Amino acid sequence: MMWSEKHRPKKIVDMVGNEEARNSFVDWLVKWKKGAKPVLLIGPPGIGKTTLAQLAAREFGYDMIGLNASDVRNKANIEELLSPLLGNTSLLGRPMIFVDEVDGIHGRADFGGTEALLKVLKEPTIPMILAANSDQSDKMKSIKKTTKPIYLKPLPPRLLSLYLSKVLKEEGAKLSPGTTIKIIVESRGDIRSLLNMAQAQIGGFDPPTEKSFERLDVEAAINAFFKAKSKEEAQVVLYSLRIDPREKINAFYSSIVTSNLPGGTLAKMLDVISEADVLYGKIMRTQEWRLLRYLDNILLKLYGENAQVQFSQYNLPWPLLNRLRWDGRTIKALSSVLAKRFHVSQSTIATFYLPYILFCIKNKKLDIEISSEYSEIIQKEIDLLK
Amino acid sequence: MPMKFPGTCIICSQKVEVNEIGFWAKGLGVKHEKCASQEVKELKCIICGGPAGCSKCEFTDDCDREKVSEFCVCKKCEGLADSFAQYQKAVQKNFSLLNLKQ
Repeated sequence: MMWSEKHRPKKIVDMVGNEEARNSFVDWLVKWKKGAKPVLLIGPPGIGKTTLAQLAAREFGYDMIGLNASDVRNKANIEELLSPLLGNTSLLGRPMIFVDEVDGIHGRADFGGTEALLKVLKEPTIPMILAANSDQSDKMKSIKKTTKPIYLKPLPPRLLSLYLSKVLKEEGAKLSPGTTIKIIVESRGDIRSLLNMAQAQIGGFDPPTEKSFERLDVEAAINAFFKAKSKEEAQVVLYSLRIDPREKINAFYSSIVTSNLPGGTLAKMLDVISEADVLYGKIMRTQEWRLLRYLDNILLKLYGENAQVQFSQYNLPWPLLNRLRWDGRTIKALSSVLAKRFHVSQSTIATFYLPYILFCIKNKKLDIEISSEYSEIIQKEIDLLK
Repeated sequence: MPMKFPGTCIICSQKVEVNEIGFWAKGLGVKHEKCASQEVKELKCIICGGPAGCSKCEFTDDCDREKVSEFCVCKKCEGLADSFAQYQKAVQKNFSLLNLKQ
């Protein structure tokens, strides 16, 4: 079990750091009455915004209804989800609404969601808690005006150290002073990150160098992943590869397809890549970024001891890639010349005519007077014809 | 702002003259512009209530005191045998509103 879940506090008072923010939040909830402004928790990830909302619901006896940016990005959704809650409060026990990642509704993903949400925020009939990582966008400025903002800040390193010592004691685990300091500094005030890194260290993986294993480059990470001695080690490497998810999937894909793998293994690995790709597609389509946490778990299935996979940036073997790059250019130029001769478009020549023209040239049925610079490519293409 | 009246800087204890640029806050006093820029924010130890000793902290270079949560613990309190329990007690004492009864 993940330590970040196992050691999740049971009460608001058990949380660590942000004492004044927690106090303001409880004060707001204690004094809450119909029409009171919703609260907006602002702060970086991993410092307890969601935990605070969940514990408040539990301690104050509310039924928390959790929504995220993807649920509230269009007007119809908001009306469908929130109107029944706001209109029939007596039928639904004691509901409390928690909208996570409100700063995630932006750009093209916003189909009137912000505007509809603002309308709801002005006259809430039940307690509403919003959470955001940042309050810098224009939309957040308008949301801020209709809410009571409470800022949650990263924890000072020494307080993290105190908390980490307590967790390690409870787990019966020990870390060297150097590793402890490194973890504390690299977590940058983020408790979840701190616990994840500590658990990974206790799991037995010692990072190869003293440099931050949070910033392994793609090549080093992919190679380290496939050379890992255990699944736990591979997991740590995977978590350390903090790049765009699309690039992550692509890096694994290109490395796998260019490696010399047995058919069965390759098929299994491509299935995993496909699964990861489907998940990423779903995230992009629905903007449910919370699903991203499952990506690494899917990619971890690629790990197998002694898998002979080496990082490759290109998703085709080098000779083929080279041919595509250089010969492709010459074929394009040849198509352009032929297009004028046959009075059709360049793409028609390349797609439909060229194989027949080559056959005709091969069988000496057609003699096209063409510049000698193309004779080499024509010969190459003829040789490839079956 | 230019000072209207003479005063004593709360940081360096030197005089702040009339028309000299400085900072003033009701109930706090005045300080030279130069002193204010050199001032290092000190976090407070939630357990003993004293300063957290930020200038001597092993994490001083990695702790942005303007951006982190307000309370920390000092070296002495961190060394207590039951330091985390002491921290929780201090939170309960200083923020009584958080002691919710279920």
